[in-house]
Amino acid sequence: MKVLVTVTDVAVVDDEFEIDGLDVDERYLTYELNEWDDYAVEEAVQIAEDVTDVEVVTVTVGPERSEEVIRKALAKGADRAVRVWDDAIAERDLLDAETKAELLAAVAREEEPDLILSGVQSGDDSFAATGVTLAEKLGDEWAAVVNQLDLDQDEGLASVHRELEGGVDELTDVELPAVLTIQTGINEPRYASLRGIRQAQNKPLDVKSLEELGLDGSALESPLRWTATYEPESEGEATVFEGAPDETAGELAGVLRDEGVGQ
Amino acid sequence: MDFALSDEQKQVRDEVRHFANEEIVPVATEYDTEEKFPHDLVEQAAELGIVGANVPLEYGGVGYDYLTNILIVEELFAADPGIGLSISSAAFGADALVAFGTEEQKEKFLRPVAEGDAIMGSAISEPDVGSDVSSVATSAEKDGDEWVIDGNKMWITNGSVGDYFVVVCETDPDAEGRYNGFSQIIVESDRDGFSAEKITGKLGIRASDTAELLFDGVRVPEENLVGTRGAGFLQLMQFFDETRTAVAAQGVGIARGAAERALDYAQEREQFGQPISEFQAIQHKLADMHTQTEAARQLTYKSAWSVDHADDDLTQLASMAKEYASRVAVDVADEAVQIHGGAGYVNDFDVERFYRDAKITQIYEGTTEIQKNIIARELLGKGMV
Ligand SMILES: Cc1cc2nc3c(=O)[nH]c(=O)nc-3n(C[C@H](O)[C@H](O)[C@H](O)COP(=O)(O)OP(=O)(O)OC[C@H]3O[C@@H](n4cnc5c(N)ncnc54)[C@H](O)[C@@H]3O)c2cc1C
Repeated sequence: MKVLVTVTDVAVVDDEFEIDGLDVDERYLTYELNEWDDYAVEEAVQIAEDVTDVEVVTVTVGPERSEEVIRKALAKGADRAVRVWDDAIAERDLLDAETKAELLAAVAREEEPDLILSGVQSGDDSFAATGVTLAEKLGDEWAAVVNQLDLDQDEGLASVHRELEGGVDELTDVELPAVLTIQTGINEPRYASLRGIRQAQNKPLDVKSLEELGLDGSALESPLRWTATYEPESEGEATVFEGAPDETAGELAGVLRDEGVGQ
Repeated sequence: MDFALSDEQKQVRDEVRHFANEEIVPVATEYDTEEKFPHDLVEQAAELGIVGANVPLEYGGVGYDYLTNILIVEELFAADPGIGLSISSAAFGADALVAFGTEEQKEKFLRPVAEGDAIMGSAISEPDVGSDVSSVATSAEKDGDEWVIDGNKMWITNGSVGDYFVVVCETDPDAEGRYNGFSQIIVESDRDGFSAEKITGKLGIRASDTAELLFDGVRVPEENLVGTRGAGFLQLMQFFDETRTAVAAQGVGIARGAAERALDYAQEREQFGQPISEFQAIQHKLADMHTQTEAARQLTYKSAWSVDHADDDLTQLASMAKEYASRVAVDVADEAVQIHGGAGYVNDFDVERFYRDAKITQIYEGTTEIQKNIIARELLGKGMV
């Protein structure tokens, strides 16, 4: 069985920052493993630990910088990695969900995984659409916002819980091959052990260009344009209740009631 | 010359930092207050390979070089020195087994430590043996195929929680020369005649276990001798350069932990209508603290690099790093409390603990005075003092 996990690094912006052109100035950015992907990697590694003969492969659309988080996924137990990048991709200001899904689908067609796990969203761009778009492109079954997964390999079935609005859980059976977008909290992501970090240095990490995936520049065409980035005026409204707790608690309760929070 | 860490070293550092921030920082005050040994954290750290980082791969460790080991020590101590020592000292004495142990000893004693199933310790000091380590009086006499051990060891880290200890004993009292006639012998804590009394009331590193060990006719098999009979002292001295470098890294970690916390606090605390970090007096303190920490770190890295590359100047460098970094730890923790004002005087803030914890780095593994003696000895080309 093969599990493909989409992994990306996300930009974290410092508290104080400046905008340079379209984006936040690089000086104020640090990169880390996308939180949702950490859970997806953990889920895949747990499957590999439970079921014999499972290969876990990660796939990333990203520049060389992203190898840091790829190595982290490898250190946590993924077997090998594919990274998609070339000059043409690097020139794009914006890689929308459609474009990323196109590139990921090309890798998936080569790898032919039984199961693809992606994060619900990436913490910086927050499109939350890449996983399901990928399923659409592959013609695979899919389930989004999965917070529990039971795999029946013999039946080729994934029984999942999906987290819906308002604390409702939906139970669905999805036929493999399938794409599941993984919600945080589905498991407890492990720390990378030092042995894992050491082994990860020797695990295969292949870099593929558009051409090597059998794609051309048209794969990058997108109807979306990134036009501007600005910091919205922050408006703060704080009410401070002064006085003894028994009085102020009543006032607070009144406000909460008016806002529709409490009864 | 290359000042950059490798990608792999950065990954190790970042992951240990992540572990330390998530698992150690939140519980540090509790373990300090209650003088409680962090069994679960030591076990968890060992599972991640943090304890046996420089134990060879074939014995369950990770086989990392000394510099990488030093990065780990800094991260642990920047989070909390007491728990940090509990974790990094779980393999105290393992160096001797790696270098001089037999295949059987390595399987039996090294692997469980690297895998988190056992804790060990290194017992040199005695009630009357501190700086002058060559006056060890704990005796081991051969009786048939056993060693019979009598005496006391004092201030032994992990003394009441350890499963076995590498104990320096006098085996050949008639040997000529101050440093001859001693041997390193492994003593398991479940042997008859062995007992340990935990020492409480420590100023700092209170999560770490310290005890007095009592040996009353303790019998161990002769195969518990590590290396060569009579050469125990020379074997031990080979590792002083490493263990001193490790204490230097402890000092760097403490200094960094204190300096970072002071930097955060200074930007939050407001007086006279502005953050106190706007005052030049505070800015200069912060600048000095971070500069000293970085200087101590570079000296420590160089010493660790010298361990890995068997550099001729190692002994001098290790003592310089140990002496300087421990002084910086004490000074920086002092200034960190100063920047916190009254808030730094109680344990609502970590700097109170760092201030108490820092002092030990000037005492164990050879006091500041002893380090200076060694540096001067090396400078003046004198023999061992
Ligand atoms: C928390 C803790 C943990 C420890 N863990 C261990 C352990 O795991 N294993 C172990 O074997 N030991 C351990 N020790 C012991 C430690 O290594 C000794 O305390 C240290 O070596 C100093 O010895 P001493 O306490 O006997 O001080 P002393 O040697 O009595 O020194 C007292 C003072 O005299 C000074 N002095 C002594 N000789 C000279 C000299 N020649 N020139 C100038 N000044 C001198 C010293 O610098 C010091 O200021 C630990 C100690 C503590 C407190």
